[in-house]
Amino acid sequence: MISSLSRTQKTGAGLLLLLVAYAIFGPMLQNGDATAQDLNHILTPPNSEFWLGTDHFGRNMWIRLADALQLSLMMAALCVLTSAVIGVTAGVLAATGGRWLDRGLDALVTMILALPGLVLVLIFAAIVPGSFWMLYVAISLIQWIEYFRVSRAITQRLTRSPEVQSSKLMGFGQWYIFRRHYWPAIAPQLFTIAAFGAANAILMMASLGFVYVGIQPPLAELGLMIVEHFPYYSDAPWLLAQPLLLLALVVLACHLMGRGRTQ
Amino acid sequence: MSLIHIENLAVYAGNTELLAPISLTLEKGQRLTILGQTGSGKSLLAQAIMGNLPNSLRTEGRVTLFGEEVNAKQRQRFWGRRISMLPQEPWNSLDPLMGAQQQLEQTYRMVAGESAANAQQKAAYTLALQGLQDSGHKRVDQLSGGMAQRVAIACAMAGGAPVLLADEPTKGLDVSRRDQVVQQLMSQSKQGALITITHDVAVARQIGGRMMVIKSGELLEQGNTSDILSAPQHPFTKALIEADPVNWPDKTPASSHKTPLVEVQDLTIGRGNKALSKHLNFTLHQGEVVGVVGDSGCGKSTLGDTLLGVHQAMEGTILRHSQAPLHQWQKLYQDPTAAVSRAVSLATLLEDTVKLHKIDRARIAPLMRQLGLDEALLQRNSEGVSGGELQRFCMLRALLLDPVFLFADEPTSRLDPITAKEVSQLLVDVAKQNGCAVMLVSHDPDLIEKRCDRVIRLDA
Repeated sequence: MISSLSRTQKTGAGLLLLLVAYAIFGPMLQNGDATAQDLNHILTPPNSEFWLGTDHFGRNMWIRLADALQLSLMMAALCVLTSAVIGVTAGVLAATGGRWLDRGLDALVTMILALPGLVLVLIFAAIVPGSFWMLYVAISLIQWIEYFRVSRAITQRLTRSPEVQSSKLMGFGQWYIFRRHYWPAIAPQLFTIAAFGAANAILMMASLGFVYVGIQPPLAELGLMIVEHFPYYSDAPWLLAQPLLLLALVVLACHLMGRGRTQ
Repeated sequence: MSLIHIENLAVYAGNTELLAPISLTLEKGQRLTILGQTGSGKSLLAQAIMGNLPNSLRTEGRVTLFGEEVNAKQRQRFWGRRISMLPQEPWNSLDPLMGAQQQLEQTYRMVAGESAANAQQKAAYTLALQGLQDSGHKRVDQLSGGMAQRVAIACAMAGGAPVLLADEPTKGLDVSRRDQVVQQLMSQSKQGALITITHDVAVARQIGGRMMVIKSGELLEQGNTSDILSAPQHPFTKALIEADPVNWPDKTPASSHKTPLVEVQDLTIGRGNKALSKHLNFTLHQGEVVGVVGDSGCGKSTLGDTLLGVHQAMEGTILRHSQAPLHQWQKLYQDPTAAVSRAVSLATLLEDTVKLHKIDRARIAPLMRQLGLDEALLQRNSEGVSGGELQRFCMLRALLLDPVFLFADEPTSRLDPITAKEVSQLLVDVAKQNGCAVMLVSHDPDLIEKRCDRVIRLDA
């Protein structure tokens, strides 16, 4: 498995692993928590006590960034998993089920695609502001479409192929055909979609945080932190740079992971 | 002065020898046929002569063209004008977006350096000579395989190159088209030299001239084509010649089998709304081998799908006189690699079948021996075995289900002649032993003649 990855993908995986390790174990290395304010120590530059300094409320940035990263990665993982399961199931059913099921799903997908993705997420987020689960539902609702379209296209091609016809003639059922024919053809494509989907989910959540309809303060979230630190860009430029850099690194890691399979 | 003179030309990948040193000389008006199976290094030789081998391969030896010793790079300036190559499946080498005449015209202008008016005239004239005057505006996808091939040959010859290299020029063509292409190659090459690479003994026989037989990069035998074909020295050459369906022994007389299996009355088959073949009437009996012939696109595969119940008949009735369950109506495919999942090993696929139908495992080993399948083969997946082995694996799976009817859709057309002979013989033998009716589709009349009890001809 690992040897089949390209050099680019290994770099991406390594970077992602590092980030995950930071998100999980980072907070254990420093005392305190993400929301504890200390107004005597605001805007402290990075030093031996606060490795990444403190923000405008004197909160420990090392812990806050780790918390924010945890949230982003969790959101990405949940969205990828949900949308992949829903998308692949719907895609295979649309291609193998009746004509009306296919038309119905296709109409639904066309309707969702007609709206810009971020606007749809905004609408959902505005209904229940600050809810992690609402964001999760909204992002997954947009992302399953890619999985759906890819699985449907691959399955449609395969339903008419000799290999599936042969298995049907031998008396094998739909589940067997999915396991032996559809899934092996779909699976390699999923990896790429999942890698880019994860990056998109993280960016979407950050965008919503940035326009204040995503996760609400005092919770740490990358987009929210960027907008919170913005007023201090001349006093403490390193403060604004931290969430930006972290966001760029996560997205980079995901994009690197998605590269290479096609070559 | 000889047109081509080659001394000890060899091809290596790293330190592995892919093609053992070969020497040959061709004078004006001579023809050479290189005969060998797929993967024997024939195409490597052609590419080495042209000088367009991939960079990862290394050549040794000397090539002299028109009395001038030239290295691979220097040979490029000869391309098109003095030496020309007709690659395999030539329709892939034509521009898919340009009309036939336009392509030919451009070749006359760019390669032969004619003026625009001259080029247009010559292109029109050449197409008319090929009987393609009405197809000049058509793109590749609108031409039939045989027509595209004629256009490609015309393009290859337009530069006026006296030396023509044709790599499997007849692959995938049916017999009448094959003969046309061979005739054209012969007439085009009267003024120069022709090197033809083929696995088809019939093509070699038509072209005549001299012949070289190659197996896994080694030259086995060379001499006059007629001498080699009538008295081959090397066992491999013998096997290759015997594998040509014309030379197969005649079939054993059909035993009288009069238990009807399927009765077809006034059947019309088609795809979509288009009827492909109308008013078919025939009866299939148990243990009978029936050939199905007809031009491509006349519905041979559709007939099979309709009989198997995969496809709806447009009109007429199909009466099954057997109560056998659906899984005993089986099919063999033209391209076995497309008919078997490559996700898991063959052993797993076999196991799936055995479990589903509760087949007695003791039957597997003897059947595998009969089909010449090795146990170790099953550990690989479908991409790790050859086409012939995979086709035999498909037969194994189908036969384990005790089929009453087997529709074999060109089961040997992608196999090399020696394997094709074995596979088709096995198919007929095993079917007769088990009283299974076989419908054999092929575009090779000799194969049908030698293997089938009777023939159904479909007309479009």
